[in-house]
Amino acid sequence: MSRLGHPPNQDYLVPLLATRPPKVDPQVVSVEVRAWGVAAALAILPSCYSGLVGSDGHDSQGATEDAGDEGGPASESGAPAGVCDEPSVDTSPLRRLTRSQYDNTVSDLLGVAGTPSAAIASDEKVGAFFSNASAPVAELIVEQYMRVAEELAQTATANLDALVPCDHVADPLGCGATFVEAFGLRAFRRPLTPDERTAMIALFELGHAEGGFASGFTLVVEAFLESPQFLYHLEFGLEPELPATDSGDVVALDSFELASRLSYFLWDSMPDDALFDAASADELDTPQRLRAQAERMLADPRAAAAIANFHMQWLRLDKLAELEKNATAYPTFSPELRAAMAAETARFADHVIRFDDGRLETLLTASYSLLDEPLFALYQLERPADHDPAIPVELDPSQRAGLLTHASVLATHAHADQSSPVHRGVFVRENLLCQPLAPPPPDVDVVPPELDPNASTRERFERHRSDPSCNGCHSLIDPLGFGFEHYDGIGAFRTDEGGKPIDASGEVVGGDAPDNTFDGAIELGQRLAQSELVRTCVAQQWFVYGFGRLRGEGDDCSFDQLRTSFAESGHNVRELLLAIVMTDSFRYRRIEGGQ
Amino acid sequence: MTHRSTTGPRRGASRRNFLGGLGAAGVALPLIPLLEPEVLAAPPATRLILLTSANGTIHEQWKPEFDGNALALSPILSPLEPHKNDLVVLDGLGWRYDDGPGVDHMRICMLWNGTPMLAGNEFQNSTGDKPCGWGGGITVDQFLAGQIGQETPFASLEFGVHNGNAHLYSRVSYAGPNQPIPPEDDPYAMFDRLFAEFGQSEAELGRLRARRKSVIDVVRGNLTTVQAKVASADRLKIEAHLDAVRKIEQRLDTTATCEVPLLGKQIDPDANDSFPVVSRLQIDMMVMALACGLTRIASLLWARAGSNVRYNWLGLSTEHHSIAHDSSDPARAQIAQINTWHAAEVAYLLEALKAVPEGDGTMLDNTLVVWGNELADGWTHSQHPTPLVLAGRAGGALTTGRYLDFGDDRHNRFLVSLCNIMGMPEVTSFGTLDEGTGALDGLV
Repeated sequence: MSRLGHPPNQDYLVPLLATRPPKVDPQVVSVEVRAWGVAAALAILPSCYSGLVGSDGHDSQGATEDAGDEGGPASESGAPAGVCDEPSVDTSPLRRLTRSQYDNTVSDLLGVAGTPSAAIASDEKVGAFFSNASAPVAELIVEQYMRVAEELAQTATANLDALVPCDHVADPLGCGATFVEAFGLRAFRRPLTPDERTAMIALFELGHAEGGFASGFTLVVEAFLESPQFLYHLEFGLEPELPATDSGDVVALDSFELASRLSYFLWDSMPDDALFDAASADELDTPQRLRAQAERMLADPRAAAAIANFHMQWLRLDKLAELEKNATAYPTFSPELRAAMAAETARFADHVIRFDDGRLETLLTASYSLLDEPLFALYQLERPADHDPAIPVELDPSQRAGLLTHASVLATHAHADQSSPVHRGVFVRENLLCQPLAPPPPDVDVVPPELDPNASTRERFERHRSDPSCNGCHSLIDPLGFGFEHYDGIGAFRTDEGGKPIDASGEVVGGDAPDNTFDGAIELGQRLAQSELVRTCVAQQWFVYGFGRLRGEGDDCSFDQLRTSFAESGHNVRELLLAIVMTDSFRYRRIEGGQ
Repeated sequence: MTHRSTTGPRRGASRRNFLGGLGAAGVALPLIPLLEPEVLAAPPATRLILLTSANGTIHEQWKPEFDGNALALSPILSPLEPHKNDLVVLDGLGWRYDDGPGVDHMRICMLWNGTPMLAGNEFQNSTGDKPCGWGGGITVDQFLAGQIGQETPFASLEFGVHNGNAHLYSRVSYAGPNQPIPPEDDPYAMFDRLFAEFGQSEAELGRLRARRKSVIDVVRGNLTTVQAKVASADRLKIEAHLDAVRKIEQRLDTTATCEVPLLGKQIDPDANDSFPVVSRLQIDMMVMALACGLTRIASLLWARAGSNVRYNWLGLSTEHHSIAHDSSDPARAQIAQINTWHAAEVAYLLEALKAVPEGDGTMLDNTLVVWGNELADGWTHSQHPTPLVLAGRAGGALTTGRYLDFGDDRHNRFLVSLCNIMGMPEVTSFGTLDEGTGALDGLV
C-alpha cells in the first residue's frame, strides 16, 4: 500500500499568541494575517481538514470576525502606528530560569563552565522557545537544584581567591560579610535587602564556625543558588511598597529588573558589572538609554550565546544534539558532523547579525558560511590548510545560500534514512511563515513511503496530491518541502535521486510575494526574504523569545513599533533587537493575577 | 535522609566507585539477594507501581482467553506466562470525553487521573480548535502518596525512560491541576538521588544533614518573603516551591536501610539504543527503593506519548509513533512486537518483585502493579478499551489469575478500584469525569 509521511509527535508547533486561536470551520479556512501595514486575509484551500491553527493578529476574541475589521497597524486607541498613548503591556507570568540561562548565569557568577543544568529536569516551551512559564516546580526539580548547587559551590571553592573580594585569611568574618554583599548583588541581580543580608551573613558565620571560611562560603553560595530571587525572573516594578495586588495596573520596571531583562534577552545570562552600575545609577530609565546599553551588549561576545540560542530554537534545532541517522543510508553521519552542523548555524547567524549587515535577507540568502572541518566534506568544499572556523568561506551559490540550506536544518527536518518534504514543508510553514498547521487526523498513515529505487521522493508522495483527504493540508506543505529535494537526509547536495533528476520546483501557496513559485531551496529563501509574512513572523518569534511568553493584546502597540523599526531598517534583525528593548512591553509590567 | 546499609557503613559507595570495578557491558547486574533477612521482619506494606507505555496496542493480539479458571495469555502478553496466576487483565474500560481541550496523545495526562486537561494555550498545537494546558487533576499515585506515602523518605518516585522535554506528552503524574511531576529519565541521577548517601559515615551524613537544614532555613525564608509579594497567579508557583522544600527538609529526618544496587558500565541514557538498558536500570532501582522502604509508590513512563523511539533492538528502525499510524499488516505486527517487548519488561519487574521474600511470600504479594497505555490503538487514536494489566495481590486485596471484560465501562471506576485495593475503601469517585458509579463491579 501507499504510505505517506507525516511529521511525528508535533510538540514543536508554534503558538504565538496568548489567545485562543479562532475556531476554524473545517470547510472554509480563512486565516487572518497581519501583513505589513495592511491586514490581509489569506484564504487557504478549503479542504485542509482543520486547517491552520493559529494566526498572527488580533483575533483573540474574534473567532468570527474577518480580517476586514483590521485597520492596519494601529493601536486599540486608534493612534497611528508607532505612537502609544499610555504604557500598555500584557501580563508576564513568573518564569523560572531555563537550563541555558542557569548554565550561563552560574558560569558568569562562579566562573564554573559546563552544563550543570543537564542534571535539572527539562524546560517547558512557549511557542518554539524554552521558557518555564506555566507549571510550578516539582519536588524533583527543587532537589535537583539543591544537588547542583552543592556541587557548584564545592567546585567554586577552587576559585575562592578570585571570587572573594577581600582577605579571607586575615579577616574571615569581615570578608565573609563583604562577600555576601557583593555576591548577593550579582546572584539576586539587585542589592540585598537588610533582611536578606542578615540571614546570609548568619549562615556564613554558621558555616565558618563549623569548618572555616570555605565552609561558610559554600553554605552561602548554596543558599543563593537555591533561593527564588536567583531561580526566578522576579519582577515587581517601581512601586515596591505596593503589594502586588491584582490591580491590572501597568507599572514601570525598576532599573535592576530592566538590567536583567536586557541581559537575559541579549546574553541569555545575568547582567555584568557595567549593567549593574547603570542600574545602580538609574541610567536605564529611557528607551534611548536602554538602546545604548543594548548596543554595547550586542558588541560583547556574550551576545553570540543568545543569538545562537534563538536560532537553534526558532529553526527547531534543539533536537539536533541527539539526532541519529540510519548508518546504512548515511555512513558519514557522526556526532562530530552533528556538532559541526549546529556550530555552523550558530556562527553564521551571529556573524550576519553582529558583523555583517544584520538583514533577514542575508540570513536567508547569503552564500557564505562559517564552517567546522567536518562540514567541508559534506559541502564538497576544499578546506584551506589554514582554515579558521571563525572566518567566513564562500559556498557554491548554486548549492548553498542562507539558513534553509544549512545541513543542520536539512538533517533535522528529515527522516533517519531519507529526506522529508513533509517535515521540511511543515517547518517552513510554521516557523518561518508563522502559520501553524493542525496535526494529521489520527487514521492516516504517517510512515514515509518506502524507499523505491524506481521512484523519486516526489513520486512516492504523489498520493498527497491525488487523495483529496490529504491534499487540503499537503497542498500547503509539500510544495514547500519538495523545494528541498536537492538535499538528502543529512543535507548533502544531490543532483539526482537514483539516476532520476531532481525536480525541486515548488510554490509558497498562499504566499504574499509577487511570484510565489520557486525552484530549489535557494530560490525559496529569496522568496521568503521578500515576504511580509516572514518578516512579521520573525519579529513575532523574537518577541516570544525575548519575553518568554506569548504576545497578548496589551502588547499590540509595542509590536507595531517593532515592525515599524524593523521595516525602516531594511529588516535588519540587529535593529529589531534594539527596538525590542525600547518598547513598552519591555519596560513595563502588568500587575495581574490569573486565578 | 540518614541511611544505613545492611553491610555497615560503605565508604564511597557511590556509583562512580562501582563503575571503576565493572568492565562488563552496559547491563544491570542482578540485585538479588536484595536484603539481609533481619530487615524484613517488619510487617510488609502495600506498594503501588504504575507503568505507562505509549502509542497503543493491538487489541486482538493483547486480549487473553479466560474460561473462568485459567488465563490463556495472548501473543502480546505471552512473556508474562510465568506470572499469569499473578495477573488480572482488564478489558472494556475507557473514557467518554470527546469535547473539551486537548486530544489524542495529549490525553495521556488523563490516564491516571480520569480528568481532562485544563483549558489554556500552553499546548496550542494539539488540534486546530482544542488548545489546552497541563493535566487537570491529581493522579491516583499522587493521591495515594498523600495518604500512604508520608512515612517513607519519598512519598513517591517517578522513573522514566526517554521522555524528552517537558510536555503534556511526557508527564503522567500530577500533584494537582497544572502540577505535572517530571519523571527522572537519567538512571545515574536517580541513583544519586536514592543511594548516594549510603556510602557516607554517620558523621559525614550528620554534617551534610545539618548543612542542608541551615541552607533550607534561609531558602524557606526567602520563599516566604517572595510569596507575599508576587501576584496571585504566581503565588501558586512559590507555594509549590515551598512545599517541595518542606518535603526535602522532612526527608532529612527519615531513615531507610538499603542495599545499594550496581549500575554496571555507564552508558548515555539519552541514546536511542540505550532504551532497554535504561529500562532495566530503572526497574532495578525501583524494586530496591520499594523493598527497602524508600517509598511505597512508584511509577515508570516508558517514553512519552507519541514516542518516536526506534526499537532497533527488535529490528525495527522506524519511529514507534510512525509505525502506530500505519494500518498495514506488517506495521500492526510491529506494534504487537513492541508491546510484547514491554510485556517482557513487566515480566522482569514481576520477577524482581518475586525475588524479594516478604512474610510468607514475596514482595509481589504486597504490591499492586498496574500497566496501562495512553491509547487503545495507535491507528485510530481510540482510547477505548484502554489496555490494562494488573499484577500482584496488594496484600491480599486482589484476587489474581483473572480476565475481566467490562464491555463498555468507565475508566474512572477503575481508578476508584485502585484506591480501594490500596486500602482506601472510602474512595467512591476519582477524577472529574467520574459519573458517580463507584468502583468496578467484580474486581475486588
